[in-house]
Amino acid sequence: MSVLDKLRLDGKIALVTGAGRGLGRAMALELAEAGADVVVASRTQAQIDETADLIRAQGRRSLAVTVDITDSTSVNAMIEAARTEFDQVDILVNNAGGATKGMFRPLDTIPDAHWQLGVDTNLSGAVYCCRAVLPHMVEQGGGKIINITSGFGVRAAKNNYMYTAAKAGLINFTRALAINYTEHNVQANLIMPGIFPHDDPELIKFWRGGKFIPVGRVGKDDEIGPACVFLASALSNYMNGDMIALEGGGLAGGQAPCGFAPIVPLEEDGV
Amino acid sequence: MSLAGFSLQNKTALVLGASSAIGRAAALALAEAGADVAVSTTLATQREELALKDCQEKIRALGKKSLAQTIDAAREADVQTLITRTVSELGTLNILVNAHDLPFAKPFADITPREWQRVLEVNLTGVYLACRAAAEPLLSHGDSGRIINIVSLLGERGMINGSVYCAAQAGVLNLTRALALEWARSGITVNAIGAGWTEGMGLLKDAHMQEQLVRYLPHKRLAQPHEIGEAAVYLASDKSGFITGQTVWIEGGALSHL
Repeated sequence: MSVLDKLRLDGKIALVTGAGRGLGRAMALELAEAGADVVVASRTQAQIDETADLIRAQGRRSLAVTVDITDSTSVNAMIEAARTEFDQVDILVNNAGGATKGMFRPLDTIPDAHWQLGVDTNLSGAVYCCRAVLPHMVEQGGGKIINITSGFGVRAAKNNYMYTAAKAGLINFTRALAINYTEHNVQANLIMPGIFPHDDPELIKFWRGGKFIPVGRVGKDDEIGPACVFLASALSNYMNGDMIALEGGGLAGGQAPCGFAPIVPLEEDGV
Repeated sequence: MSLAGFSLQNKTALVLGASSAIGRAAALALAEAGADVAVSTTLATQREELALKDCQEKIRALGKKSLAQTIDAAREADVQTLITRTVSELGTLNILVNAHDLPFAKPFADITPREWQRVLEVNLTGVYLACRAAAEPLLSHGDSGRIINIVSLLGERGMINGSVYCAAQAGVLNLTRALALEWARSGITVNAIGAGWTEGMGLLKDAHMQEQLVRYLPHKRLAQPHEIGEAAVYLASDKSGFITGQTVWIEGGALSHL
């Protein structure tokens, strides 16, 4: 088999949460490009219907399922719906998450309910999805889990508490999966996106077009799909508990590397 | 078809250390994905040269152009000559893979200054020399220059008797980050593939010790060289342009462990 054939996902069933727009939609479409049939899930029916239509236009099967990932009953129903339609789930992409009510506030002003919602949305939801799908992956002899964390999962930011804590939690939760399910041929890995403003002019302005990022630009949504295909494919079978970061070099040197470039000659050169 | 973006058709790669298990796997995977691939080894033993020759023949059997040369990766003139030859015989250079590896392990107190220097010279300085010599052809391609350094998980974790080897590996790892920042706007991405314990690795010479090690690994097995080398295709392709300064670890869960 050629190395490029190993990227193919023909006959695989993938499930992507948060697939109605942005990175989730981009990953769902790229998985379909690689040959997978894709269950697309999110809270908003109209958006996932649109993603499902785009997948079908690529000649793949798709199913749109609404879900509230913070509610485990809803998550269990989603997995059941996927299995009823396609019999199995080979690839789970936990992408749903994001800003929640009361984010970017000083810690002493965050009520319990806001903390809980942030952690549920960005950590517990992925946990519920894994918990529901893993028995089936074990039964069918293996699977791939791809959790979408964030640069904020390893680096802190001003007044960012529940999101950064939950995304860090997701990283080590993924390592725990890697350790515990390796014997069942389930690989759990992470994608860590940097700044992706999804072509939204307001967001691009907010992030100053990515001027502070080493490569000098923000990420484009369609750049994440190939990483997802790689982690869903046989090419990554020995990766487990590991991470691919797409962030334009930001984590290599911190968030303020630009402009700091000292020249210090050796003393004996006498420059 | 979006997977075509992973193809390396019309690209030229140079793999240093292609006589090693991982370097060879990377070279063959790049050729399979469509690249012409020049290969070199840094160890001038008969065994290494036969392995290199074999690798070159396999690349040609895939219908790709190749050349093979034995160099001392720590000698500036050797490295420069190899890169000049690659560009003149294969047309250009888009992808540099630094996979050369001088294995060495000894109790710290017994390491002579000469040994210390030689291990750093090949494993770390050799990467510097190759990146420097490759800069000109790599920079001539707009935004598709790629440097891929193969490091071991000893760049991130220590090992008894591994002091100088670990230091060199960590050096390559952080050189990867620093160079990525410096060239981030010049169109060259600089990344590393972090190899877990892999079949055929130079440090795995003692069968009993290898057995002990494998028992500790989450997957209960070593990686096959192709499982490490094939990741080079993704990092070499146009699809990975936003990834730089990163290490893609392929280690079977070993780093998730304490």
